[in-house]
Amino acid sequence: MDITIGRGNKEPVTLKTPVMPAAGTFGYGDAFPKLFDMDKLGAVVTRPVGWHKFDPASGTRLVQRPGGVILHTGLPNPGLTKVIRDHQPLWDMLESPVILHLIGTSESDVEKACKQISLTTCIRAVELGLKDDIVWQDAAALVRVATKHLEKPLLVRLPFPANEDVARAVVDNGADALVAFAPPRGADRNPISGKIVPGRVYGPLLKPMVMHAVGNLTRRFPGVQVIASGGIHSVDDARDYILHAGAAAVQLDAAIWANPNLLNLVSRDLAGLILTRPKDALSDEWFPGIGETDAKKLGLPYNNNNRTRASKPENDAP
Amino acid sequence: MKETSGLIEKISLPNATHQHLEVSVDPTLITLKPGQFLMARIGETWEPYLRVPWIPVDARAGRLVIERPMSEAYQVGQTVSLIGECGQLVRFRKGVRNVLFIAYDTPPTPLLMPIRLLLRNNVSTTLVLLGDAAHYGTKHLPPEVEVIHGDMDINWPNQVMTVGWADQVFVCVNPDDEPYRFAKILERFTERRNEIPKNYLFGLFQAGMGCGFGVCDACAVRVGGEVHLSCMTGPAFDLSLVKLSVAPGAE
Repeated sequence: MDITIGRGNKEPVTLKTPVMPAAGTFGYGDAFPKLFDMDKLGAVVTRPVGWHKFDPASGTRLVQRPGGVILHTGLPNPGLTKVIRDHQPLWDMLESPVILHLIGTSESDVEKACKQISLTTCIRAVELGLKDDIVWQDAAALVRVATKHLEKPLLVRLPFPANEDVARAVVDNGADALVAFAPPRGADRNPISGKIVPGRVYGPLLKPMVMHAVGNLTRRFPGVQVIASGGIHSVDDARDYILHAGAAAVQLDAAIWANPNLLNLVSRDLAGLILTRPKDALSDEWFPGIGETDAKKLGLPYNNNNRTRASKPENDAP
Repeated sequence: MKETSGLIEKISLPNATHQHLEVSVDPTLITLKPGQFLMARIGETWEPYLRVPWIPVDARAGRLVIERPMSEAYQVGQTVSLIGECGQLVRFRKGVRNVLFIAYDTPPTPLLMPIRLLLRNNVSTTLVLLGDAAHYGTKHLPPEVEVIHGDMDINWPNQVMTVGWADQVFVCVNPDDEPYRFAKILERFTERRNEIPKNYLFGLFQAGMGCGFGVCDACAVRVGGEVHLSCMTGPAFDLSLVKLSVAPGAE
């Protein structure tokens, strides 16, 4: 299930699966290959990167809640130039396209960053992150600058809760796709220190809220691709976004920290790579030549040439 | 680093506050070095939401011994998903002879594996338990470890002598306010010595381990002008190089 992002005369980017990690959850694509099946990802979305360097937040950054987490990192990054210099060799080698998440700080920074990104070949698209409290006029100005100076597709990550004026400003000024949404902001008491910690909220309960908002977006902007992000904790969650909310693709966030394999599972599922196992199939019948193991154990006849069982007793246990 | 399964084979109670889980692990994890740890997840539920750092305190007969609080319930035969190995080994100076370990308001769990390694190499070790760490029972520790109990204000008997005698010092603190506590330790050592040389006083950073493989940025530490992640290049960082300028209780 390929999807292509890009409008106008920009070089479009094609994602071979509609699944990718959300910005800030996957490093720069340098996460360990044994934890993630990189070839099955539609794209690699980088950590948020600014034109200037960002330092990490000080104090407590992580508060766990039942069924979720609040995280405040300060988006540490060494600045765009250094990020590109350090990671270009890796990004050139990756099979999946790299989408750089650019922190939308100011028009001048976005302009400089987009000009520099346009000169690279390793970055295939940009995801522009907007401030949580942005007004539509500022969003329009940032997107206008980005589309003017960027030679690649532009995705814009919208803040949550959804603001239709901001979304319309982004679409009207040439964004190629919407990423809905950034994790909402929250604050909670750190149970260890007793202090209030602000940060972004992750967890399964976000899915119903985000799915409702994604559904509204896809109805209001039918010609625009929407990439849903928030609260995906199972294959079914991801399917719901695509089949019921009308999203073109999905991004997985904090769930992959606890369960890295979830990214592989969702990628394989939405790419149509998971085959349905016949109800009466032997457990190891999938692989050529080894189906006979179960067959022998159960005393069943087995034909190794065509790798199918000759017959199965009617009262055989499932 | 990869995701593997572990099997809890034995549970023992070394003291009143902690339990030791003997876990059969993938052969690649048996060679875990002092300072390195695993990120564990039990079951398929999202409670707790993130993985929990599991710090080995020993390795014996193909199993890792993991120290966990008594408040957590485990059963023999339970399987656990493990991501590892996380972090880097604690680096000791060449020819080190006397090493001081300090646990401040936290159990000395991260210090126990390094202590065992040093004892095997006939290095003299002293463990100072400060504040809440004094509640940690130490009868299960090898008798060669000298255990000293101190108070909440970072005082202990013969402090000047132990500080002067140590070739290296490793400190772990309660993760609720790590920069502040490390800053207090650094301040005390600055009072006791003319200068703090490089590669002398190390903090073992435990706070904010969200993922364990360097992508969530929750454990970022500023060291010598660079940003390091405790789960990747830590957990031990030279406290003389770490930026600890955090006001008490600041969030």
